[in-house]
Amino acid sequence: MTTLSLSKIQKRFGAAEIIRGVDLQIGSGEFVVFVGPSGCGKSTLLRMIAGLEPISGGELSIGGKRMNEKAAAERGIAMVFQSYALYPHMSVYKNMSFGLETARMPKAEIDKRVRKAADILQISQLLDRKPKQLSGGQRQRVAIGRAIVRDPKIFLFDEPLSNLDAELRVQTRVEIARLHADIGATMIYVTHDQVEAMTLADRIVVLRAGVIEQQGTPLEIYNRPVNRFVAGFIGSPKMNFLDVRAVASGSNGLAIDLAGSAVVVPATDTPAPGEKLSLGVRPEHIRIGESRGLKLGSLTVVHVEHLGGQTIAYGRLADRQSMTVALEGQQRIAAGDVLDICTGPEHCHLFDSEGRRVDG
Amino acid sequence: MSAVAAFELKAPRDRSGLREQLAGYGFLAPWLIGFFALTLGPALASLYFSMTDYSGMSAPNWVGADNYLRIATDDPRFWTAMNVTFTFVLLSVPLKLLFALAVAVALNKGLRGLSLFRAIFYLPSLVGGSVAIAVLWRQVFAGDGLLNQALNGLFGYEGPSWISNPSYSLYTIVLLAVWQFGSAMIIFLAGLRQIPQDMYEAASIDGAGRSRQFFKITLPLLTPVIFFNAVILTIDAFKAFTSAFVISDGTGGPIDSTLFYTLYLYQEAFINFRFGYASALAWVLVLIIAFFTAMSFLTARFWVHYDD
Amino acid sequence: MVRALIYALLIAVSFIMLYPMLWMVASSFKPDNEIFTSTSLIPQDFSLDAYRRGWTGLSVGFGQMFLNSLLISVLVVIGNLFSCSMAAYAFTRLRFKGRGFWFALMLGTLMMPQHALLIPQYVMFLKLGWVNTILPLVVPKFLAIDAFFIFLMVQFFRGIPRELDEAAIMDGAGPLRIFLKVILPLSMPVLATAAVFSFIWTWDDFFAPLIYLNDIQNYTAQLALRTFVDATAQSDWGALLAMSTLTVLPIFILFILFQRLLIEGIATTGMKR
Repeated sequence: MTTLSLSKIQKRFGAAEIIRGVDLQIGSGEFVVFVGPSGCGKSTLLRMIAGLEPISGGELSIGGKRMNEKAAAERGIAMVFQSYALYPHMSVYKNMSFGLETARMPKAEIDKRVRKAADILQISQLLDRKPKQLSGGQRQRVAIGRAIVRDPKIFLFDEPLSNLDAELRVQTRVEIARLHADIGATMIYVTHDQVEAMTLADRIVVLRAGVIEQQGTPLEIYNRPVNRFVAGFIGSPKMNFLDVRAVASGSNGLAIDLAGSAVVVPATDTPAPGEKLSLGVRPEHIRIGESRGLKLGSLTVVHVEHLGGQTIAYGRLADRQSMTVALEGQQRIAAGDVLDICTGPEHCHLFDSEGRRVDG
Repeated sequence: MSAVAAFELKAPRDRSGLREQLAGYGFLAPWLIGFFALTLGPALASLYFSMTDYSGMSAPNWVGADNYLRIATDDPRFWTAMNVTFTFVLLSVPLKLLFALAVAVALNKGLRGLSLFRAIFYLPSLVGGSVAIAVLWRQVFAGDGLLNQALNGLFGYEGPSWISNPSYSLYTIVLLAVWQFGSAMIIFLAGLRQIPQDMYEAASIDGAGRSRQFFKITLPLLTPVIFFNAVILTIDAFKAFTSAFVISDGTGGPIDSTLFYTLYLYQEAFINFRFGYASALAWVLVLIIAFFTAMSFLTARFWVHYDD
Repeated sequence: MVRALIYALLIAVSFIMLYPMLWMVASSFKPDNEIFTSTSLIPQDFSLDAYRRGWTGLSVGFGQMFLNSLLISVLVVIGNLFSCSMAAYAFTRLRFKGRGFWFALMLGTLMMPQHALLIPQYVMFLKLGWVNTILPLVVPKFLAIDAFFIFLMVQFFRGIPRELDEAAIMDGAGPLRIFLKVILPLSMPVLATAAVFSFIWTWDDFFAPLIYLNDIQNYTAQLALRTFVDATAQSDWGALLAMSTLTVLPIFILFILFQRLLIEGIATTGMKR
């Protein structure tokens, strides 16, 4: 049940191509998160869906109808802006009713909708206030309320939490997730924060330089990143990448040369012996002081962060490659310690010299 | 605008050493001398003069409120001047605002050549107060002037001498004032740029078309700037002098049709040397301007949107 | 379509607005009979005769008036920059008793219409024997009488980080040294804006010279031009328009040179002319 479809969507500003042929199908009721580094085009893509940016090429359809030329208001969408874009001269009530009044909806119906949305968002007591009199979190709710009253088929969120402090961000994130569960509308959400992406999305779309690098459920992307970029972008702390060299392919996997010692990792692809590869291991998948698993070498600790629930050690391997290790609980580690580190073969990601995943 | 915030001094009060006190008053000395000698002293003196028959020659004699009574009850030229000045203010200020706003909105559409147009429209406000432009205006609206030549050439219409006809002369000066809408326009342009773009994006998602965006977003958000411009233009219009002086040869004629308040004030003070009476006239003008400004601020809360 | 219409309208309006000024310049190069018979912007017979007649049209040559105007304007610029920056520095950077009180009074003078002060000021300058000299036009500017420029500079000085002063204090600088070596060098934009506006407003000023200057030797260009209107009894329009063009010329040159400064000055402060 596709509700929104992008086909070969392009955006050009003069000679610069910002979005380079994006194809994407979004199902009804799905929560899709666009994520990527700044400048990747995720906001531009969202604004093209919203009707705020003209589409240079390709087709956008919503509910099976071509939307390229339709005005923003006629697309059945609502948008929550990064800055909230609340009308400063209107009360909260007016901010929420403005679009409905524009559509000449009967007063009684407007009132019903505004009060219901205010009720859902627990801002009923704020309806007479002006935006300036609200806290950041309250403004955020009004911005969402303005979207809700329109009863749109699709909600668009443009980095809506980036102006909130850390605590409120977590709280609002949970509320957006609950809102999605309650009203079941399609939601498209842009963020550069991969934690927001992982926690909110049914499906994550990772963008880089105007191209979709990978799309899938959060765990698919976490477990099987298709390239080195996605692997490095999703996950915190960042995945470690070690320079390795293919030695030989065998029935039980691929033997690689890691800092002088040969280790075998599972792989079905067979890179030529001698090819330079990159071995990716997430910091949280590294263990210390165990004899089982795949030995990665000895890590000389340079710096340790004690987070209480987690201990993060930064260090160097014998061949000076740097490495981050995230260990559960409180570990007695100090700078200067030498740790024997290992990981499970199932946690190894191999990428070729172009950054593509070597399947295993 | 943010003028209110600017009126507060941020640094804390401090009873620091003598050195700092000396430095402070040292740097402030020129202003302090100027304040007492050129502002406070003259203000008090002028209040006193206004209750005397001072002529500059002989010592002033106290006459109490006589000058003010005469202004109110027995001075037809005062009422003529009031009439001329109010006509001028009530015509030129709204027209100027309207032109300035319309052109600013048109220029704000992201047109090419914005800075060129802006410069062209601003130039008249920069030179408009000079004698040269008033001289030019006399020529343009003279019986055989540029306007009538053009009218004759285009429509074969023989125009009157606009300047020397009391029915039209004031309106030529109104036109000269409206011609100088440029600086108000620049302030409007700056105000329009302050309105965040995402306000319009949100409105377009809310389905508001161009005119609804203008009346529901642009205009309300611009009200502080409109208010600022209106107050400043009104005060300026009450004080208008040079154009009327040059165009009417300092007389306010023909038959007092361009007798601006300031022109009348000038004549009483420096032609007739009635310093006492002119001081009273000056204070009446101060009161009128103060009254208008106060009224503007009182009505402002009914139509001006303030952010905070 | 709409855009083309707006363009057409804007071009039409700018043409109508500029036309009188362009015509003034063009006519100053026309022989007299052509002024009243042609609305054209291009003189048929190009002639400098009007300038010659105008320059010597008064008993004292126009050159003297231009020098007078220039002298007054330059002195006013110096006076304003000197006195207003000092006051603004005291208000923003120095701590002394009564600062808030004086600052409020200074803002009050911004609103005070000058008309009420005019006659006593005149009487005072008369008693000092300054009437018919340039002193009444210049001396007040050295006493920071243009509160507007103080306000402008206060706004600007507040934007200069206080840490810079504190760093200078750590380096052993006193108030005067901080003012001269830290604040003023960083304030060039606002000083330039104040200078250009001071110059233009003084150059254009008509009222004060009209009151204080009686002797034609001392006239400013504006006053001379206005007297010239009387002297020619408006019969020599060519010479009048030529001299008008000349008096506007300095403003026009400053406008070309400092356009951006002027427009930003207006936009940010709501300054008027």
